[in-house]
Amino acid sequence: MRAKALLAALLCAVGLLAVSPDLAYACPVCFDRDDEARLAFLATTGLLTLLPLGMVGGAVMWLRKRSRSGPA
Amino acid sequence: MTADATILPFRPRPRKPDKVVSNGVMGMVLVVFVEVMLFAGFISAFVIVKSRALGSVWPPPGQPRLPFERTAFNTAALVLSGVVLFVAHRGYQRDRGKAVGGLLLLATLLGGAFVALQGVEWAALLQEGLTLTSSTYGSLFYTIIGAHALHAIVAICALAWAWGRLRAGRLTKETLSTVALFWYFVVLVWPFLYLQVYL
Repeated sequence: MRAKALLAALLCAVGLLAVSPDLAYACPVCFDRDDEARLAFLATTGLLTLLPLGMVGGAVMWLRKRSRSGPA
Repeated sequence: MTADATILPFRPRPRKPDKVVSNGVMGMVLVVFVEVMLFAGFISAFVIVKSRALGSVWPPPGQPRLPFERTAFNTAALVLSGVVLFVAHRGYQRDRGKAVGGLLLLATLLGGAFVALQGVEWAALLQEGLTLTSSTYGSLFYTIIGAHALHAIVAICALAWAWGRLRAGRLTKETLSTVALFWYFVVLVWPFLYLQVYL
């Protein structure tokens, strides 16, 4: 029963993709008139995504190191 | 009738774990995280606007060029201030006490020199026609560099306050670390702004 439902859902998804083959540009990052602007979008997206992760990771490592070396 | 006196074994209260970092330093770390993201957003906006400039001409036609060479002196003063504060901070952590007062004052004065030189530079740029409303270039320049200058002024006031407490013999190591952390942020974020905005 469950397998049939999954198969039906899969067929529906494939059917939807088959009837709408056009590319969908959701945001200005995906297209621009020149490469420089597109690269700038990608670079800044990477910066703003990775920077907080790096800072939080760095803080956790720093606190861990301090907790091993003793109290403040 | 007998009273059942149960004697419980003595169990000492579990000791609270020692703090790994003082509240002030931890609070300042969080503030610095927020500020780093603010300046990352500014830099991102600047990079995107610059990359979409008409005909890839930057600065836009009719707008003055930023004094890259002259600002190198400001940058040197700021970096030197950071180094001097680092030496003073380490000295204070090693219980040198009031002996680092001179270094702390020097770091504050160098920071003040940076802000004063920035003021002179802004006055010249305003005379040349670069204003907050003259172009996107001017808006971004004054917003980004102005935000940094505002942070520098707040940090200089904090350094001066710490110096006053040091002279009064009331400066704790944690307080100096908290203030120093903010100044290190102001110093370290500047080269990124300088190379991105001025170059």
